Amino acid sequence: MSADPYSATVRELFAAPAHAGDIPGGESAYIADQDVRLRLFATEAGGKIEALRFRVWGCPHVIAAAEAVCAALEGRPVADLQNYTVADVMQNLPVPVEKTGRILVIEDAVRSLGQRFRDRT
Amino acid sequence: MSDEIIYLDYAASTPVDPQVYERMREVGQAAYANPSSTHAAGRLTHAVIARAAEQLGGLLNVAPETLIWTSGATESDNLAIAGAARYRAHRGKHIVTMKTEHKAVTDVFETLDKEGFDVTWVDADSRGLLAPDVFAAALRDDTQFASIMFVNNETGVIQDVDALGAICRERDILFHVDGAQAVGKVPIDLAALPVDLLSLTGHKFYGPKGIGALYIGDRPGCHVEPILFGGGQQRRIRPGTLPTDLIAGLGMAAEIATGRMDDDLAHLSQLRKALWNGIREIDGISLNGDPEGFPGILNVSIEDIEGESLLLALEPICAATGSACNSKIQEPSYVLRALGRTDMQAQSAIRFSVGRPTTMDEVEFAAGRYRDAVARLRQLAPEEAA
Repeated sequence: MSADPYSATVRELFAAPAHAGDIPGGESAYIADQDVRLRLFATEAGGKIEALRFRVWGCPHVIAAAEAVCAALEGRPVADLQNYTVADVMQNLPVPVEKTGRILVIEDAVRSLGQRFRDRT
Repeated sequence: MSDEIIYLDYAASTPVDPQVYERMREVGQAAYANPSSTHAAGRLTHAVIARAAEQLGGLLNVAPETLIWTSGATESDNLAIAGAARYRAHRGKHIVTMKTEHKAVTDVFETLDKEGFDVTWVDADSRGLLAPDVFAAALRDDTQFASIMFVNNETGVIQDVDALGAICRERDILFHVDGAQAVGKVPIDLAALPVDLLSLTGHKFYGPKGIGALYIGDRPGCHVEPILFGGGQQRRIRPGTLPTDLIAGLGMAAEIATGRMDDDLAHLSQLRKALWNGIREIDGISLNGDPEGFPGILNVSIEDIEGESLLLALEPICAATGSACNSKIQEPSYVLRALGRTDMQAQSAIRFSVGRPTTMDEVEFAAGRYRDAVARLRQLAPEEAA
């Protein structure tokens, strides 16, 4: 019998990604690499991430990870974006090691978003 | 219905028919002796196996003596291909197969290639069909063996075994057919078809797993060398004590299939048509295979959808991406790539396969689920992906 490739967390986040969508007029970053296409949208208020949304094309782990990342970063300082790592997400979902490259695309997109906020100021 | 499993993966495996299960239970209790033993209990077991061979022979229209029991299609393919190629090696080492064969075939050819055989991999057309003239052009004076599958496990395409076999027969080339997806599902008359070797397995047509057979034609030069050693059973071609209950189950499955094949095909055709009609209008969808292929399989690709996410979004429908044997590998189907599909098209492919127990309600639900899943994943994708 094959093991379920998806944890309960991955299944839950894949089925109902609360942060899926876009923010018209918000800052955004787009990356396409490693069989992933991801766009992040964000707004900031008072130096913190007010809202973070995503649109993604990818495997279930990528979709779940994008949701988890957005949920984790909302309310955090904008400055955190540039230093963000997906290590916790990799461990908590968890994501199989062969998909590490795909999840790192999300990390790159988050950092790119942080850079855009920084460039704006 | 949404909380239940909806099984649409009958090309991967089928449930054991209740009559088959009952036959296996009876045999398991009554015919437990070693069929090679000459005492009364052994003779009883031997008779059970003989009856199963009659039943399977009836399905294929061949003499029971032409059938060798194996553990399944993979072993049958290995025995047929490696056994026949090695048996004929003194006459020539050129062997031929298709790029779209099952791994149980391609891996054996690759092994023989490393042994020094000269392998030609023939291309299919965009539907997956092998044209007889393309096949003939691949044959040489030193060709001794060819293997072409009857029904493709991913696309359901049915090859013209009659025409391809006739070409081999004219040139005295041994012709093997992987019939794993065909036996018990489509009519096969081996008395009429120019087929020398045919592999089959029980669990693809409502028999048990772990049992299969290899048909070896009764004509001069048609023989295989064994690939297993350890006893003189089954004419020294395939040694080992026979699993009587599994063989009895396979025999019963064959008898049932013989009696209801026309009804099965009509049922599957209705289901496949309904499923395809339910999704064919989706933007970017395409059919992989031949519309006139085996009606139990519908393989579709969809533009700009990630296949693994699509499969998960389809739950509780149980279908397959690529072939079940490859579903853990993060690669687009090599079969679909060989038909000229792009990586994007191949990775999005879903194989739905319907069976005897499938209902019209289930395929209509599946069509709706597929439409919803595609819409949801497209909505989730960034604009650049559309």
